[in-house]
Amino acid sequence: MTVIFVENLNKKFGPNHVLKGVDCHIREREVVCVIGPSGSGKSTFLRCMNGLESITSGSIVINKHRLDDSKTNINLVRQEAGMVFQHFNLFPHLKVIDNVMLAPLKVAKVNKDEARAKAEMLLAKVGLAEKMEAFPGSLSGGQMQRVAIARALAMDPKIMLFDEPTSALDPEIVGEVLTVMKDLANEGMTMVVVTHEMGFAREVADRVLFMDQGLIVEEGSPDEIFSSPRNARTQGFLSKVL
Amino acid sequence: MALYFGDLLPFSSLLLEGLWTALYITLVAMVAGSALGVFLYLGKVGPGKAVSIFCSCYIEAIRNTPLLVQLYLIYFALPALGINLEPIWAAVIGLTLNNAAYTAEIYRAGFESVPHGLREAGKALGMKNAQIVRYIVLLPATRNVFPALTNQLILLFLASSIGSIISLPELTNAIMSVSNTTYRTIEVLAVGGLLYLGVSALLSLASKRAETTLFRWAVGARV
Ligand SMILES: Nc1ncnc2c1ncn2[C@@H]1O[C@H](COP(=O)(O)OP(=O)(O)OP(=O)(O)O)[C@@H](O)[C@H]1O
Ligand SMILES: [Mg+2]
Repeated sequence: MTVIFVENLNKKFGPNHVLKGVDCHIREREVVCVIGPSGSGKSTFLRCMNGLESITSGSIVINKHRLDDSKTNINLVRQEAGMVFQHFNLFPHLKVIDNVMLAPLKVAKVNKDEARAKAEMLLAKVGLAEKMEAFPGSLSGGQMQRVAIARALAMDPKIMLFDEPTSALDPEIVGEVLTVMKDLANEGMTMVVVTHEMGFAREVADRVLFMDQGLIVEEGSPDEIFSSPRNARTQGFLSKVL
Repeated sequence: MALYFGDLLPFSSLLLEGLWTALYITLVAMVAGSALGVFLYLGKVGPGKAVSIFCSCYIEAIRNTPLLVQLYLIYFALPALGINLEPIWAAVIGLTLNNAAYTAEIYRAGFESVPHGLREAGKALGMKNAQIVRYIVLLPATRNVFPALTNQLILLFLASSIGSIISLPELTNAIMSVSNTTYRTIEVLAVGGLLYLGVSALLSLASKRAETTLFRWAVGARV
C-alpha cells in the first residue's frame, strides 16, 4: 500500500526555485534513502512532507491526509510522520525521559503512567535506559540523537523522516545511531532518510533516490544506483563520495 | 591630605536611610518595570499592527534619550499639566518607565536566541504554537533572559542616584548633603561609593548563585 504520494511538488523560496516538480510514491514498510549534492533540495523535500515547509504547488498525501488542503489538520499529519533532525533539537531544560514524554502527554494526552512506561521502553530500545534522568546537555551527540529517535517514536508514527541524522556526529559514534535506525527498518517502519552514509543506504534502503537541482534525477535499488548508475550526474556525484 | 572618616559618624543613619530609599525605588521600579516590559514585548511582537508600532516607538524613544531628561519631564513638565508628583513617585515612575523599555528588549533578545530548531522539533511532534511556547521555549528563554535581567537590576540601582537631582533623599542626595555639612567631600564620596559597590557586588553574586541553582540543566547545553 502506498502511504506517501508526492506529485509534481514545487517549492520556491522567493525567487529561488528549489523543488522543480518532484514525483515520488513510497509504500508502507519501505525504506527510502535520499542522496544528492548539497543544496539539491533534499531537506526541503523532506520538510515539505510534514509541513515544516509550505508547498508552492503540486500535492503531497501522507496517510490519506492532503497536505496541500488548508482544511487538513497538520498536527495530525505530524503525529503520524515523526522527524529526526541533523542537530537533534532536544529540549535542553527537560530530562531525557521528559523529552520523550512531552508530546505523548501534551499532544496525544495519554496518562502519565502510560507515557512513562512507553518512554522507558523506547529508551531501553535505543540503549539509553540508564540516561533517563540525565539532562541532554550531559549526553554525547550519538546519545542525543538516539533520544531524539525515541522522542519521535513515542508518538507511534507510521512514517519516520530523517534529515541527515548522523551528519553532526563524530565518525566513531555514527554507528550507534545507524544501528538503531537499522533495527527500526527491520521492524517494518516506513522510513525516508536523507543521508550521506552510502554504506547505510546500500545496506538498508529498499530504494535510493538521487536528487540534483530540485529534481529526482534517478532512482532504483541500492544495487542499481551504486553499482550501475545510468545518469551522468549520478555517476559524477557517486564518484566523488564513494 | 588627611582624611577624617570620624566626622561622618553622626551622619551614618542619614546615609543608610538614603541607601534604603535607593533600594526601595530600585526594587519597585524593577518589579513594575519588568512586568510592564512583558506587555511592551508582547505588544511589539504581537499581531496588532498599531500596538506593535506604538510599543516599538516607545522602546526606541526611551532607549535613545537620557534618563535625566525623562525624569525632568516627569518632575518638571507634568506639573505644568496640573500633575504634581512627590519626588519619590516621580523617581519611581521615571525609573519604571525607563526600565520597562530595557527589559522589553531583554525579553526579545532572550526569546530570539532560543534555537529555532527547538520550535521545529515541537512542531514536528504535532504541538500547537501555544504549547510550543509554554513547554519548549519559555524555560530556555528565561534562562537566556536571567543574566541580562539581573544586570539590568544593578544598572537600575546605580541609575537611582539620579533621584538626587529632584531632591529625593536617596543615597547620592544624602552623600551631597553630608558633604555640604561636613566639608568631608572625599570621605563621604568614598563611603557612599563603597555602599553602591557593596550592594552591586552582592546583587551580582546572588544572581550568579541563583543562575546556577535555577538552571542546572543548562550546564553543557547549547542555549
Ligand atoms: N528557509 C529557507 N529560506 C530560503 N532558502 C532556503 C531555505 N531553506 C532552504 N533554502 C534553499 O533551498 C535550497 C535547497 O536547500 P536544502 O536545504 O533543501 O538542500 P539540501 O539538499 O538539504 O542540502 P544539504 O545537503 O546541504 O543539507 C538551497 O539553495 C537553500 O539555500
Ligand atoms: Mg539538508
